[in-house]
Amino acid sequence: MHNVVKRTFILLVVVLAYLGGMIFLGYEIVQNADDWAAHDASPYIVAPEMNFINTVYDANGVCLLKLETVKDEDDNEIQKLIRNEDDELLRRATLHAVGGQYLGVGITGKFTGVPISPEYEYDILNGLHVQAQDNESKDFYLTIDGEVCKTAYEQLDGRKGTVGVYNYKTGEIICMVSTPAFDPSNPPADSEILEKEYPESTYNKMLMLTYTPGSIFKIVTAACAIENIPNLYTRRFVCDGALEVEGFGQKVICNSVHGNINFEKALNCSCNWVFGQLAIELGPEKLQRTAEKMGFGDVFEVDRHPLTAGTIDVENASDIELGWAGIGQHTTRANPCMMMTLMGAIANEGQAVKPYYVAETHSAYDDTVLYQAQPETTDVIRLNTDTAIKLKKLLRSNVQNYYTDSRFPGLEMCGKTGTAEVAGRGDNAWFVGFSQREDFPYAIVVMIEDSSQSGSQAAIPVANNVLQSILGG
Amino acid sequence: MAVSKKVKQFKYLWYLLLITFFQILSCVQLMSNLEENSSGFATIFATYVAVEWLYVFLMRTLIKQKSFELEMIAFFLGGIGVALISRKSVDNGLKQVVFTLAGVFVFLVMRWLIADADRVTKLRFPAAIIAAGTLGLTFLIAPEINGAKNWISLGPVAVQPSEFVKVAFIFVGAATLDKLQTTKSVFKYLIFTLGCVGALALMKDFGAALIYFATFVIIAYVRSGDWKSLAALGVAGVIGVILLLSIMNQTDIPGIQTALNRFQNYRHVWEDPSNRGYQQTQVLMCIASGGLFGVGLGNGRLLYAFEEADNDSIFGMIGEEYGIVLGFAVLIAYAGILVYSISAAKSARNSFYVIAAIGAAGLLVVQASLNTFGTTDVLPFTGVTLPFVSRGGSSLVSCWALLAFIKSVDPRAYPKALRETQLTA
Repeated sequence: MHNVVKRTFILLVVVLAYLGGMIFLGYEIVQNADDWAAHDASPYIVAPEMNFINTVYDANGVCLLKLETVKDEDDNEIQKLIRNEDDELLRRATLHAVGGQYLGVGITGKFTGVPISPEYEYDILNGLHVQAQDNESKDFYLTIDGEVCKTAYEQLDGRKGTVGVYNYKTGEIICMVSTPAFDPSNPPADSEILEKEYPESTYNKMLMLTYTPGSIFKIVTAACAIENIPNLYTRRFVCDGALEVEGFGQKVICNSVHGNINFEKALNCSCNWVFGQLAIELGPEKLQRTAEKMGFGDVFEVDRHPLTAGTIDVENASDIELGWAGIGQHTTRANPCMMMTLMGAIANEGQAVKPYYVAETHSAYDDTVLYQAQPETTDVIRLNTDTAIKLKKLLRSNVQNYYTDSRFPGLEMCGKTGTAEVAGRGDNAWFVGFSQREDFPYAIVVMIEDSSQSGSQAAIPVANNVLQSILGG
Repeated sequence: MAVSKKVKQFKYLWYLLLITFFQILSCVQLMSNLEENSSGFATIFATYVAVEWLYVFLMRTLIKQKSFELEMIAFFLGGIGVALISRKSVDNGLKQVVFTLAGVFVFLVMRWLIADADRVTKLRFPAAIIAAGTLGLTFLIAPEINGAKNWISLGPVAVQPSEFVKVAFIFVGAATLDKLQTTKSVFKYLIFTLGCVGALALMKDFGAALIYFATFVIIAYVRSGDWKSLAALGVAGVIGVILLLSIMNQTDIPGIQTALNRFQNYRHVWEDPSNRGYQQTQVLMCIASGGLFGVGLGNGRLLYAFEEADNDSIFGMIGEEYGIVLGFAVLIAYAGILVYSISAAKSARNSFYVIAAIGAAGLLVVQASLNTFGTTDVLPFTGVTLPFVSRGGSSLVSCWALLAFIKSVDPRAYPKALRETQLTA
């Protein structure tokens, strides 16, 4: 008995080893706690996904997405985001606004997972304090009108492209459709099938892609000419169907022989001869500067989606390249959302209102308003008032004198079409424009890829029908 | 044996009040941070506090027990567990309180059982057979979950037999001591140990196997004092395990791969924080994020990180929600159990109680260190539970049963009539 009791003291060795472990752990914590707490994979920095979104509603109060408790294959209750079950068309038309499997866009793509650059402070006494962290379960109220999106989706009619409409006074995006769009309730089985059946559907084309603009770029060339060529409005041009550029032996081909025309008529009929000539006269620097002032090469964010910048690169262009750039070919690329915002800026006589589509978020617990969108101008587009007023008149003239108001009944539409040539595939058929009605302040962009028809033939009917559905609805 | 006078009288009421106050604070914080479950938290804590007070009251009046150190430590640790488990799921919290009640009941039964020397002598061989049989049976009938076969379901409840066999393992280790300092008596216990550890290894419950082995080394040392043989055995064991692992590295049996991955990951968890080092790095990030005083009960995130956060990584939740300071208080509490057993051994009635107490305390500390240090990458991760704290009935009840061995080392734990009896074996 005595020996046994004596031997128990050996267990002090166990205690000492244990205390050694504690001291080591304490040392490690003191040394590394700041790095650990600020680690990228920390659940305080990457908050649990599902907790962010409770519901998503469109502008009409229709529920687009809802967090529901469902049973998985093993009969466990799990929380899952479920799309509106009744309306497949609505699901497809709002796919990129709401988000879905495979997609890093929309509410589910941008408002779950990593909040945008959380700021934090750390000290070991108080632990981690993450500021402006957005981890509360929320109800999202969008400016998106599901019915208008459905119209736009139907109008695209299986063609690839995008339709965007926004209120240029408030910035509310009413319509943001990108096709092809799969049904988020029955997504493709894997990414291979996705890419085969719905190519490029992981992009919100309105925000994330850029396209050769074609003739809609003539708006930029026109702005540059207005600001730099004094006798522009009195000058006459003679279009012979092909603009010969000295020293190159190549020509900028025009769509027709327009003959003796003035500047306004040249924009009406989208004369390549005149705009090629103007671009060459203006020279690379001026054209580059004007394009940059009109949003090319710069971006803003639309509810956490940074746009992809349009490109303009004519600084070192030769005359023939400049001629092509002046009519929106060459290496120039335009972002649909930026073009829509530019239309808004022209409509507002210079002031560009930034588009957004999340109107409000409310706490899912007590319905307190957590966020409320405010109209906000952007200086990415810097258009002087005088130029904007002149462009507005020119774009109005395009519709009145060329496309005709009968194609936009009741809308007092201003706009420009474009039919951009893309190597190896069909054209990009564009329409960008806006209604100048005070009570109907909407700007629109329609872009149809791989089109066998021109912008005027393909894009104008889509634009009109979508706008009519807003007017009528 | 007038030792009881030397042991300082324990101011149990004062400590009980402190623990109760701590638990009320925990409950209030849970109720304010997670309002939707506030009635559940109130029920859970009211029941838990009632169990504590009723236990102390009954022991005080029925057998005039004067010391409550061990029970206070267990109730303190258990209260932390209950808070964190109910914070994740109110249903599980309620279950944990019911298991606490069952644990206290088993604790009392065990104290009664081992108080009488004759009963201990009679029970030692049946206990050994039942223990070995249970493990053998578990290996045969348990379904394989995540590669390991350590759960069997008895009607509506799933139990983990290796938890209960721990109790028999210590009982057998202490009670089969018939002659001191003979290698033969240790040899028989060694055979029994190898049987248990072997069965656990076959079930791929390597954490439990390690705990059994460490407990064997402690008990065998206290019994024989032959530290050279034991050191040799320990080294042989470690080499054996390493050899075995390197051979099994060639196989692709799921349970073994899991164990191997954990072993290879040791001290490398930050190299792959999203996959292989996920659990430990999440725990460390959350502990660090809590700072010294925690993010507060109900504000933590670790429980969302993986399913077993309130089981084998509950130490992370303590550090995160209660704070690093309380995490270390929990660590010290386990050391306290062992120090208590060492200091109380002097006053034990005979060797059985010393060995049983040291074995049980050693087991609890080894298990606590495997859990806390494993989940924080100070030791390799083994996935064992944190005694008294982790979610799970088997673990909690077996911890209370083990506590009975430690309690019994202190003569003050018995009614006066029993204090003078001797174990005859």
